[in-house]
Amino acid sequence: MIHIVTPANAHRYADAMEQAWRLRHDIFVAEKGWTELARPDGREIDQFDTPHAVHFLAMEGDAVIGYSRLLPTTRPHLLSDVLPQLCEVERPVGPQIWEWTRQGVARSHRSKGRVVNPVSIALLTGIVEWGLAHGVNSLLLQMPTLYMIHVIQLHFRPQPLGLPVQIAGEEIMAATARFDARTLAKLRAVRGDSNSVLVSEPAYLVA
Amino acid sequence: MPHSKHLDRTFSVLRDLERAAAPDEIARLLVDAFTRYGVSYVMAGIVPTPGLPARRHAGFVLTSTMPEGWARRYVTRGYALHDPTVRRLCTSATPFDWSTVPPDTPIASRIMNEAGEFGIRAGITIPFVTLDGEPGGISVSGDRIEIDPAERVAVNLVATYAVGQLLLMNSRPSAQAPARLSPRERETLQWAAEGKTDVEIGMVMGITAAGVDYHLRSARAKLDTVNRAHTVAQALRAGLIT
Repeated sequence: MIHIVTPANAHRYADAMEQAWRLRHDIFVAEKGWTELARPDGREIDQFDTPHAVHFLAMEGDAVIGYSRLLPTTRPHLLSDVLPQLCEVERPVGPQIWEWTRQGVARSHRSKGRVVNPVSIALLTGIVEWGLAHGVNSLLLQMPTLYMIHVIQLHFRPQPLGLPVQIAGEEIMAATARFDARTLAKLRAVRGDSNSVLVSEPAYLVA
Repeated sequence: MPHSKHLDRTFSVLRDLERAAAPDEIARLLVDAFTRYGVSYVMAGIVPTPGLPARRHAGFVLTSTMPEGWARRYVTRGYALHDPTVRRLCTSATPFDWSTVPPDTPIASRIMNEAGEFGIRAGITIPFVTLDGEPGGISVSGDRIEIDPAERVAVNLVATYAVGQLLLMNSRPSAQAPARLSPRERETLQWAAEGKTDVEIGMVMGITAAGVDYHLRSARAKLDTVNRAHTVAQALRAGLIT
């Protein structure tokens, strides 16, 4: 299931967030070699992990097995502060568009031979479910050019923001990706499960 | 912000690709966009599973503008399984120039030579993997191809986007219960097929442009199509409008 962590419920996710920071360090520093994110305590936390970030945790029991983060484009985010060179048009900003970053799945849960990991699809499904419920209709993506094929196949409507740029040996591009109920239907079809992936919270806790 | 002419041209091709109604229109748009580099032909497909009889290879082609004679020979002789540029697809994730793929078997050399007889002497292939994990490739080819290194990223971007659209169109199940459109959906689509804008259709039907958009979207969802032109094309094919 996918758990959404915000300041409203963070007190109940102290242990899970601890796992999430370490999972991010394992994936992005140790594995991908993004050394500028390295931290001596092994918890990858950056300047964007403010109370405005929304954390998506894929959990199996008490274990965090996947992670994604959404950042509001109305505040500093990667495209505005770290990779502005990827955007050659007016930078899209607004409450309806959030930037998707730090997507990662624990090594123990990466299936061999399959391109699209079930945990990744569950995380993205959770993001789209959350977006549809919160008036969000677009994700801001920074990704290798080839990922656009899957973005389109999943019924997102991508709009590139510039030509791809070579970053650390990979061709990276920025794009917005609009989504709607069809995107959710497609994600659910790929998952083979039409139920919500989100853990439902008692209403008094989300209020 | 200063726009390069190049960026504008790329974005305009992407817009056309998004509006395209059929795979051959996508192929045509690509050839038009890449003629300036010497590109005459485009072909995109999924790599046929080894052991699949050649007669079923045609189903793996997403789109092709290859010369008729060459395309027929290629499919009927099962060349896809021996073509060195196709075999490279399963091992490479980055775009490659055909000149870097030496024909390593006699049949591979024969394929490359025969392609030359049809004016196909140079090419670039961009490998991809579908959501289902199937390897595929899109190639642009011609007698001689010259792409400025700085423009390669734009070519990759356009070709990749086109593959996404092709796979989207290809995934539509054809043998399913015919969609049933409401009278309003049919009427808006009929006017859209006449080339009318949402505002114009709204005037004729006495509803707002947003209302027209709503009915068209609803038709799009029912027909499982990707855009306005594709919806009109599907509705015509299905005999839902005339």
